[in-house]
Amino acid sequence: MPPETQYNLKSPGVKRLMREAIELANPTEEYYAAPLEDNLFEWHFTVRGPPETEFEGGYYHGRILLPVQYPMQPPNIILLTPNGRFEVNKKICLSISGYHPETWQPSWSIRTALLALIAFMPSKGAGTIGSLDYTPEERQILARKSISWECPTCGNVADKLLKAKASPTLTVEESSMLETIALKAEEDVNRKEAKSTEEPEGLRDNANKVEMQATPFTLPQNDANNGQNSSLRQRNIPNITLVQQDITNDILETSNERNKRDIFWIVVIYSEFVAF
Amino acid sequence: MGDQAEGLTNNSSETNIESSGNQDELIMAQQRQIEKEISETIPLVGELEAITTLSSEYSTDEVYLSKIKDLVSKYSHIRRTRPDGNCFFRAFSYATLERLLGDKEEFIKFYKLAENSKSILVELGFQQFTVEDFYDTYMEVLKRLADIDNVEAAKKELHTIFNEQGYSDYMVVYLRLLTSAQLQKEQDFYSCFIEGNRTVADFCHQEVEPMYKDSDHIHIMAACSALNTGVRVSYMDRGTGTTVTQHDLPEGCIPTVHLLYRPTHYDILYV
Repeated sequence: MPPETQYNLKSPGVKRLMREAIELANPTEEYYAAPLEDNLFEWHFTVRGPPETEFEGGYYHGRILLPVQYPMQPPNIILLTPNGRFEVNKKICLSISGYHPETWQPSWSIRTALLALIAFMPSKGAGTIGSLDYTPEERQILARKSISWECPTCGNVADKLLKAKASPTLTVEESSMLETIALKAEEDVNRKEAKSTEEPEGLRDNANKVEMQATPFTLPQNDANNGQNSSLRQRNIPNITLVQQDITNDILETSNERNKRDIFWIVVIYSEFVAF
Repeated sequence: MGDQAEGLTNNSSETNIESSGNQDELIMAQQRQIEKEISETIPLVGELEAITTLSSEYSTDEVYLSKIKDLVSKYSHIRRTRPDGNCFFRAFSYATLERLLGDKEEFIKFYKLAENSKSILVELGFQQFTVEDFYDTYMEVLKRLADIDNVEAAKKELHTIFNEQGYSDYMVVYLRLLTSAQLQKEQDFYSCFIEGNRTVADFCHQEVEPMYKDSDHIHIMAACSALNTGVRVSYMDRGTGTTVTQHDLPEGCIPTVHLLYRPTHYDILYV
């Protein structure tokens, strides 16, 4: 856990995150999450691919970005492990299908978000932004490869979870929430290079990735519009709302320093991709 | 802001065949963003102001002016709250505590009621450790207030706490949870007030527990029961008549909290 002196311990939001860090300190079979050593507002997590799906046997690692208003505002999830269901390096935030993101409830937690992510993995991507519609075979291959995937910060992630398998114990509220959950991909203005249309090719063709690495921040401005088109096409699909988030200025990443670190991250991640 | 507006324009030019529903959503999102920016310039809970200051907001509106005149005959002061969708919960919580600070005996009763509230929430299936998080902060605030002997000093502390975003929002969340619990506990009664095919639990998850969701009559009824407090709401809108309409909740109570409602917003009133 980050050194306590760094934060205003009187702030309920900071106390809450400290509390969650203690609550989640022990890994379970399904998930493990912990704050970065130097930043209580950024966590890394690992989830086990849900059994009896094409993600079975896979370990999926990612970042959780907490807005300064947490828990009044929802956490954002970014997957780092190639998985064939969600694009990597793209914010996904929790929502409730058919409603606006402010239906996030402060009584939910990082644990709730991870359970929702696991529950949502086997659902159809339906070609919306942030989603990937890989075939089950491709996802199985990625699931197998994920065992040896390493996070530049956390190292090998497959051994972060407890070995045994069991169903998660959910509270009543969590179960009812999971029935209505939707995930919402978010277009981050600072992260436009993680372009949706290039992701699948990038995974299969390393050459593309190398090129992206060289010019990570010069993607066309109309990227956002692609997203809106996708979400327009998506309107007739019931229950699953994967909509592009309009704007992110109320989300945490405002300081230049953080953005710089994100740039560093993205480069590191793409190098991983190439190696992969 | 700029990005959003730009996205909207480009989007409409390229996809004008597509359903306009999504554009509505974008416009609404933009609208919400503008509202948010405006509302953040207003304190979470403002200072006491003379009720007559309301007139300046409606200097040319005869309907409002006559209703303000009526309001002035009933109330002396107003305390404005930030219009962020939490105004009812914030105003109600603030006004309830402010009154209790002047009545030690009642405050102790309220403290005991609050002390016992956590188990009710956990029984309803809320995640224990997040409920505890809100509960602990709520009780911490009550304790801080209880420890101050001087009433004026305690009121000042209350005002400070309610203007610290973190604490203030935690107070709102906890009252939202208590209100949700009250609705679910008496769902047979409340279900007839809920429109559409929603269960009381659905309604709570969608309209009560999330932050920034506006409050309706049903929220107020349940919040009043939860805190065992009577409230009088004065409704002021452009509708016919020259007086404000007043409702006591629960009906027939002796109201100890007074609120002013103007469409979509609540402020605190003082006799």
